[in-house]
Amino acid sequence: MNWDPISRIIGNLGVYTKIDFKNRQIAECKVTSSLFRGYSVFLRGKDPRDAHFITSRICGICGDNHATCSVYAQNMAYGIKPPPLAEWMVNLGEAAEFMFDHTLFQDNLVFVDFCEQMVKETNPALLAKAEQTAAPNAQLHGLRTIADIMRAFNPFEGSLYKEALQMGRLTREMCCLMEGRHVHPSTLYPGGVGTVATPQVFTDYQVRLLGLLDFVKKAVPLNDDLFNFFYEALPGYEEVGRRRVQLACWGAFQDPAVCDYRYATMKDWGRAMFVTPGVVLDGKLLTNDLVDINLGMRILLGSSFYDDWAEEATLVSHDPLGNPVDQRHPWNQTTLPHPQKRNFDDGNYSWVMSPRWQDPQSGQLLPLETGGGPLARLWATALAGLVDTPYVKATGGSIRIQLPRSANLPETEFEWKVPQWCNTIERDRARIYFVAYAAGMALFFLEQAMQEIRAGNTRTFTDFAVPDEGLGVGFHEAVRGVLSHHLVIRNGTIANYHPYPPTCWNASPTDSAGTPGPMEEAVMNTPIFEENGRDGFKGIDIMRTVRSFDPCLPCGVHMYLGDGRVLKESHVPAMGMVGRAKKKG
Amino acid sequence: MSQEGIRIGKPKVKPTALTHVCGVRAGNKPGSYEKEPGHLPDGRSTARRSTGINARARNAILPEMPNLSPA
Repeated sequence: MNWDPISRIIGNLGVYTKIDFKNRQIAECKVTSSLFRGYSVFLRGKDPRDAHFITSRICGICGDNHATCSVYAQNMAYGIKPPPLAEWMVNLGEAAEFMFDHTLFQDNLVFVDFCEQMVKETNPALLAKAEQTAAPNAQLHGLRTIADIMRAFNPFEGSLYKEALQMGRLTREMCCLMEGRHVHPSTLYPGGVGTVATPQVFTDYQVRLLGLLDFVKKAVPLNDDLFNFFYEALPGYEEVGRRRVQLACWGAFQDPAVCDYRYATMKDWGRAMFVTPGVVLDGKLLTNDLVDINLGMRILLGSSFYDDWAEEATLVSHDPLGNPVDQRHPWNQTTLPHPQKRNFDDGNYSWVMSPRWQDPQSGQLLPLETGGGPLARLWATALAGLVDTPYVKATGGSIRIQLPRSANLPETEFEWKVPQWCNTIERDRARIYFVAYAAGMALFFLEQAMQEIRAGNTRTFTDFAVPDEGLGVGFHEAVRGVLSHHLVIRNGTIANYHPYPPTCWNASPTDSAGTPGPMEEAVMNTPIFEENGRDGFKGIDIMRTVRSFDPCLPCGVHMYLGDGRVLKESHVPAMGMVGRAKKKG
Repeated sequence: MSQEGIRIGKPKVKPTALTHVCGVRAGNKPGSYEKEPGHLPDGRSTARRSTGINARARNAILPEMPNLSPA
């Protein structure tokens, strides 16, 4: 079966699977990208002050995350610290982005896989059961049965689908208020923001945020009802998309009281972030030190269309603390593209490299995943237990989110508990909890920003000179997970620049050590619960797994059905443009 | 110019050209903040940041009030 490209995701991702229908399991999986971007190539020689405007264009949905991350890297390279009000405004803009993107993706894209129509086509017996199952939180969200919830997900018609579109508009407006524009912000700069901070800007943001709180208070229990139903109705569903817990979070939301953007103090200001960075292995927090995280990064090849850069120049032999920096670290990477034919058998098959993180204790190169973003963020923050604000508190094993009274609903508390598994359902469930997390943090950031305003502190930018030589790294979270930008300046221009967004980690191909990428591994372990046989097979369990990672690539999933049968069907994401899709078969 | 059968114009700017032109003052240059009218060294601002017309009359009426000029 060949869907190429699949709508509802952005980019050029291909997931090639071989399915063992006899044992109802995925036998083999390869993840590939057919698109070469080359940002690290054409950024060389450019003015570093352009970096955040250029790298913002990497993504058409989370461009502001790239701009913010680039600004963080530049702040370090220029040795500057923005005024506190500017930091609160960036945090507010980024919180709005998280709320926007997660709501859009979860309710308008992911839930199409869980909607009434889809379940009817793939698991009719499950839909019949859903009709008979009362929703435990019906009094909170107003939908009586699980089937009613599934109907609310139906695209273009369902009540939740339509409400989520309105929330998407609200949250985009919030982002624009702080960052000037969405997706590619116009008022984010190294040293601060160009947004003029008036009480009106914050009031406009707050009005919209309070409107969103009503939605969040209904959406969290609704998500819980649906996902718990899947566990109960389909015993063993926890194995769908499950893999060993190997999660990465690079932290988000700077605390201006601690963060000075110096590499020497990065350990301290990294821990002060309002989403704590961390690497979680088998449910244990390995580190939350950004210096360890930075030095452990390794970019491997193995199945990628690039030549090795082992013999190329080493730009950074030691970090500013004197620690040795590996040749496979992004600061030393030289991108040498080598286009070639895709070869799944014993050759290269992807334009994505294989970022891995070397555990300093064991020396293992770990294929870390982001869990779609929220799962790793919540897990690392919960275990670290460092975040403590009036609305969001990490307890060491959970995260408590306290949302105040909003337009129609009373004060509400949610608790996200560290789950048993890292699987498809938990990646999806964490997403809606992180919307609540971002909403709680936005309330806190608003109060902090208003304190600055009430004191008359209106300064939002710091001036700076571009050094002849400089080194910077930005750690942030794109909506779907870890994001880092590594910058080296020589002669006042960019000598090396490497952005590593989350899908590079999640959708990485098998590396030179033979370790499969996270998405490959998750799909390979997926049992099949779909009721359709080989003839009407849709691959819904695979699609749910792929989309649980929130892949930032349009995805083509190509399936070999066995016995020499390959079914191909083409779709275009242009609704109503009938006749454009070229059907092959 | 022709490249594989496609007629294209001669590029006027090199891909590596910098956006900053030497000799033109850069907004980020140290000292820029102090030169902005109405922005005070301690991080506060006055009505002068919003208007050049009779700005002093538009400042806060009491010294303990924050001076918040419109955008």
